[in-house]
Amino acid sequence: MSIMEQYGMRSNRGWSLTCLLAFSCLWGCSGGTESGPSTTSGGTEEKLTICLLPKIKGIAYFSSCAEGAREAADELGNVELIYDGPTDGDPKKQAEMIEQWTVEGVDVICVAPNAPDVVAGAMRDAQDAGIKVLTWDAEGVEGTRSFFVNQATSQAIGEGMVQAMVKDLGGPDVEGDVVIISSDATSANQNAWIDVMKPALEKTKLNLVTIKYPGENASNALADAQDVIKKYPNLKGIFGISSVSFPGAAEAVEQMGKSGEILVTGLSTPNEMKRFVRNGTVKSVVLWNTIDLGYLTVLAAESLAQGKLKPGDTAIQAGRLGEKPIAGDNILLGDILVFTADNIDQYDF
Amino acid sequence: MNISDGKRRFPWWHEAVLGVLLIALLITAGIVNPGFLNLRGQLLLSRHLWEFALLALPMTLIILTGGIDLSVGSAMGMCAVAFGMCYSSTGSVALSCLVCLLVGVAGGGVNGWLISRMNVHPLIVTLATYAAFRGLGEGLSQGESYSQFGEDFSEVARGMWGGVPIPAYLFGLLALGCALFLSRTPGGRYVYAIGHNEQAVRFSGVNVGRVKLLLYASSGLMAGLTTIIYVSRFDTAKADAGTGFELDVITAVVVGGTSIYGGRGNIGGTVLGLLLIHETRQFVSRQWQVDELKSIVVGLLLIGSLLLYRGMQVRNRE
Repeated sequence: MSIMEQYGMRSNRGWSLTCLLAFSCLWGCSGGTESGPSTTSGGTEEKLTICLLPKIKGIAYFSSCAEGAREAADELGNVELIYDGPTDGDPKKQAEMIEQWTVEGVDVICVAPNAPDVVAGAMRDAQDAGIKVLTWDAEGVEGTRSFFVNQATSQAIGEGMVQAMVKDLGGPDVEGDVVIISSDATSANQNAWIDVMKPALEKTKLNLVTIKYPGENASNALADAQDVIKKYPNLKGIFGISSVSFPGAAEAVEQMGKSGEILVTGLSTPNEMKRFVRNGTVKSVVLWNTIDLGYLTVLAAESLAQGKLKPGDTAIQAGRLGEKPIAGDNILLGDILVFTADNIDQYDF
Repeated sequence: MNISDGKRRFPWWHEAVLGVLLIALLITAGIVNPGFLNLRGQLLLSRHLWEFALLALPMTLIILTGGIDLSVGSAMGMCAVAFGMCYSSTGSVALSCLVCLLVGVAGGGVNGWLISRMNVHPLIVTLATYAAFRGLGEGLSQGESYSQFGEDFSEVARGMWGGVPIPAYLFGLLALGCALFLSRTPGGRYVYAIGHNEQAVRFSGVNVGRVKLLLYASSGLMAGLTTIIYVSRFDTAKADAGTGFELDVITAVVVGGTSIYGGRGNIGGTVLGLLLIHETRQFVSRQWQVDELKSIVVGLLLIGSLLLYRGMQVRNRE
């Protein structure tokens, strides 16, 4: 009996061997491809490996951040950028990715924590292993990172929204009632902005009549907006200061046929609000430049790894952004970006 | 013909194939990326494995009887909420762990009771409790997450003894226990026998219902134990704990050579299946730095192993 007969004719053993072969091929192929960036930890190249971990991979907001990050990496030349994150926003996957990168021995990990407590342990371990850890977009637990790349201060956001409203309504002399529709009464970001908005509004002739807290619930936000529109006949503007209450308020104004009479402004991504900007319900959408946020984060990471950025520094040289201030351990991107009918179509996120 | 007779007498075919694949993978990975074989790194990253590994032990026993437990992941969610709520009201980690284990046993007991006494198919029962346990956890906690259980508690999952993660010792002990139970005790023989022919076992006077009840309850207990490690590792107890674990665990058991129809398989195979999946995942994500690729490769691994075993099964019947 020949070998061919023994192994070829018997389908069963053929199966086993085929599968074995298939597995070997699978792994063999991987051997043939260019090896991943982890080879840098082997010390063959002098490139810095910087990992950028978003809350969720594949949504427009973070993809635009990644765009800026890649720009910075290209500009620097000595940076190997890894942009990866969970596609479902699961913070536990973030933690496991940090742990994996720690073992690989990357140089810097930049984390946008989706749940600070969940990733805190992994971030501490990374720091203990000598890896520089930054947070960006969202703050982590105290002691888990060296710097936070803060996209916009409460001051800039709060004042930006008030300024946008005053300008959109026709200038500093405009009078009338305005309301704020926030998120939960306990939302830290929103409360910080409200604390800035209140004194800023007092300097104008606008009168803040009430603040609503519908939570992160779209139908509650819509109902609250409808309520205030009915209740305050002299209402000129609504601030929707969460990603839920802003479209909710705009929807209410549109549904009640008040577009143009009552202006809505607030904080959101451009794609979500494009429809309302085109039909005149919203004139300004306030956000920060997400591309610049990614760009600044990678520059800060590189500076930190090279020792150019140290605790106590008060400014950082940030390429095309010029010099950016550092307050304590917060690197401030600072400026807000206002989307209007003129520029909103240039942004796709 | 001589060759095939020889093959039939060699009982460790599955394990041998898995072992060869595992070694081939490690060698390939080591050549491509020498850092991959770093023992310390391997041990650190093994922390991603132990929870699946622990759940795979009772799952192996259950699948050996021809059953299945789809509810383990959801049971973890329920246990995590119980842990969190207990901690937030009492502040005692020890008490919270106890409650967590009890809730796990209770959940597994419900499964076992429905399967053995009501005679409903395990797939249906655990599909129902899969939804119910998660829902219960979400309802009770209102989606809230509990956190900050203290530095000491986080050592349970993150701590190392002699460079080896603490849960690894637990797994080693329990895996050995399960293997001995299967191979050396009457209970273990009943497990295989039920998987081969439940009616025959019943007629021979074995209390099949009690065996099943105990198996599903122990699966629940393991879910509770796993939850403690999981909560410790992420310092967070939330109703979403263990989401999707049941499928990963079943995958590991099946890749490990346990027949989904029952009666054939062992703990050694499961251990190798776990290691193979874990190392493959690690290698893939390290090589390409794309998280989603891991799922694809594990899927291929499962299909490949099923084809492999089918081929071998056909052969054995010859």
